[in-house]
Amino acid sequence: MAIALSESSTVPTAANDAAGSTVPQLFARALTTWSGRTALREKTKGIWRSVTWQEYGEHVRWVGLGLAALGLKPGERVAILANNGVEWVEADIGAIGAGGVSVGIYVTSVARQVAYIVNDAAARFIFVEDEEQLDKMLEVRADTPSIEKIIVFDMEGLREFRDPQVLSFAELLALGREQDTKHPERWAQLNAIPRPDDLAVLIYTSGTTGPPKGAMISHRNIVYQMTHVTDAYPVNDTDNHLSFLPACHVFERLFGVWLSIGHGMVVNFAEDGETVPENLREVQPTIFAAVPRVWEKFYSSITLAVRDASALQRWAYKLALAVAYRAADAELAGKQPNVGLRLARWVAYWTVLRTVRQMIGIDRCRTCLSSAAPISPELLRWFRALGINMVEGYGMTEATGGITINPFDRYRLGSVGKALPESEVRVSRDGEILVRGPHIFMGYLNKPDRTAEALKDGWLHTGDVGSIDADGYVKITDRLKDIIITAGGKNITPSEIENELKFSPYISDAVVIGDGRKFLSCLVMIDADNVARFAQDNAIPFTNYASLTQAPEVVALIQREIDAVNKKFARVESIRSFRLIDRLLTPEDEELTPTLKLKRAFVNKRYGDLIESMYRAA
Amino acid sequence: MALLEIRNIETYYGPVAAIRGVSLDVEEGKIVTLLGGNGAGKTTLLRTISGIVDPQKGTVAFAGAMIQGADPDAIVLKGIAHVPEGREVFPFLSVRDNLRMGAYTRRDPDGVAKDLELVFGYFPILRERAELAASQLSGGQQQMLAIGRAVMARPKLMLLDEPSLGLSPLLVKQIFGIVQRINREQGVSVLLVEQNARMALQVADFGYVLELGRIVMENTAAKLMESEDVSEAYLGNKQQGVRGERRWRRKKQWR
Repeated sequence: MAIALSESSTVPTAANDAAGSTVPQLFARALTTWSGRTALREKTKGIWRSVTWQEYGEHVRWVGLGLAALGLKPGERVAILANNGVEWVEADIGAIGAGGVSVGIYVTSVARQVAYIVNDAAARFIFVEDEEQLDKMLEVRADTPSIEKIIVFDMEGLREFRDPQVLSFAELLALGREQDTKHPERWAQLNAIPRPDDLAVLIYTSGTTGPPKGAMISHRNIVYQMTHVTDAYPVNDTDNHLSFLPACHVFERLFGVWLSIGHGMVVNFAEDGETVPENLREVQPTIFAAVPRVWEKFYSSITLAVRDASALQRWAYKLALAVAYRAADAELAGKQPNVGLRLARWVAYWTVLRTVRQMIGIDRCRTCLSSAAPISPELLRWFRALGINMVEGYGMTEATGGITINPFDRYRLGSVGKALPESEVRVSRDGEILVRGPHIFMGYLNKPDRTAEALKDGWLHTGDVGSIDADGYVKITDRLKDIIITAGGKNITPSEIENELKFSPYISDAVVIGDGRKFLSCLVMIDADNVARFAQDNAIPFTNYASLTQAPEVVALIQREIDAVNKKFARVESIRSFRLIDRLLTPEDEELTPTLKLKRAFVNKRYGDLIESMYRAA
Repeated sequence: MALLEIRNIETYYGPVAAIRGVSLDVEEGKIVTLLGGNGAGKTTLLRTISGIVDPQKGTVAFAGAMIQGADPDAIVLKGIAHVPEGREVFPFLSVRDNLRMGAYTRRDPDGVAKDLELVFGYFPILRERAELAASQLSGGQQQMLAIGRAVMARPKLMLLDEPSLGLSPLLVKQIFGIVQRINREQGVSVLLVEQNARMALQVADFGYVLELGRIVMENTAAKLMESEDVSEAYLGNKQQGVRGERRWRRKKQWR
């Protein structure tokens, strides 16, 4: 197979002419294309450190050769239990380059969950971030017989630790390096092993019911996404990406790891979840792909900052936004705003909106993307008004990421856009969205029955209900199994209501309940920071999180927010009762997905008593 | 109504918020402890109560009267005595004069003389060294002097800032024992800031955990002692890992 090398590096079409090739081949091409340029950046001890493609490539090669020397055979699985970082991607691409299959495990998993995935995948090697993650593995090693070696990235605190099953990442690199000198031809041979339709990665999806399922993703799947998702989310080697969502998730894997290999953008790893706002301002990325929760957070931080601003500033913001909304709405309607409006928007940008964009850290962004969960159209409209080139995508792990994308210039609010090239989307008789194309996964590992449910005659059954208009624009209504049928027989799509609720700066997430019930109710997870600030501003005493959720004024605040949302919906869709979740949930909690959304099924079960109390009281 | 009721206090050092919205109560006759790491805002909170710094927002009610923003001497008169971190005794004054300084605002010489005897009763070593300059006392004795000086003000509430700092375990035990006695016998309520969480929770009735200027946990001392987060972060109880040792810390969830 010919590998095209683009010498003109201004806009390398890299992945675009590589259909049919494999991840190791694309990676090899990336190395020749961008060799001395920066590939990755990581902040260590307060300083951003750059890794060139050449260094990245060397480590990947040594990881791969090291694993092969330790006995990794083609097709065997290698797990990674670590936070995003340089070593993470080196281990990932190294394992795949050696013909292996890479399996990411969330660091928030407990030992028992780690053991489940290791066993399900029959992983032979596992990379662990540090002492903490190592301990999880050691705790379950008697139950994970497939594991040959555990490789530790960060040996801090483990200098005295000796164990025949454990080695450091540095030791693995040294081993690979030795192999490289002895057999310089070996790496290319290993790289040539995987075929496009071979398994490349396993992505475990957190099932809301039952154990996680390992979605089998082939090289072809990955190369397809690398090539086509950029039609509406263009990326090139002058771009900077900030990586902070877990790389185990298909979203970050695609928009971070894979797109960088295909298109040469720089991946900057955020230090951790709490430093994202600062890291964002430091890195000033030029492209930004994130889940709705992140966009919601940006919006609420600005809304509250404006509330605290001087009267003049508030007035200026309101005025600038009004102008910007008018211009954005005109564009959305397919019209060119008139000269006066364009001029007014220009003034609004330079006086106010630019500052807002800088406060968030997205002023340099050429394109932004929201996907992986439903987002409120109102929120997208706000970002458009700021002049952000915001696209919305729809996708899922089983389609290796993107299914449809809503392009900026032909954007339709309320839709998730059109199917990616070379793929088809249709609606089944019972309203379910079906997808076919080169991005559809190979099935779930060890779960033929679940695979059969998801894949029928080559069509992926997404489990989402929606519609497609005459121009091919897809609209998603909700998850099929989430649709609520009330006791009165009314069909209600909870996510529409939930999205409106989340638009409130005080509501972080909400789950609407009402299946088989007389009326709708909801459980609300408050935004701790913003509600604490509200309490402070209004002299409402509270101590910890629980007491904050119990303050009558806070309950009244959320009631007002819910009342405002109720006005936008029909009477049967009103939320008549609600409760606040009184525990501060973290990603370690089973109630939340890795992208920090409440898991509906789990919440329904865990808070069953609380839910019943709402219906008893009524 | 609690003796001390703090509501929504925010205190800044310049642009830096040290206390970001704290509400807490000290019930009459109780010992309440405030735990937290370095920079959590514990000392700032005590300084805010005693009027050394003024809060930007929020209220401090003592025995029903608002005292936030009042001058420190007025607050002492109302019945709050502050035992600062690092003792801060007057080094060149004698022990006796140091104790008398504690009663500076009082106008009842008979009562003062009686209380001097009371303090000497609690801390016999201070009587022995009454005429020595305070700088000649050992660290533990200076701590006793600082507490004694506070008792001399006949407070209703004593604010104790890290009394165990730099003292031997035996001395710490002794001093905490006396604090407990003063609390019981004199009915003085105590708000105790401590790094030595084990000791503090042993003597306290109730506790709050402060982190980055906010309260993350509150409960009875006994319940706090059982909490995994407090146990690991403040009591130094390491869970035994499979390797026997464990250096990393579990992420705190405060529940």
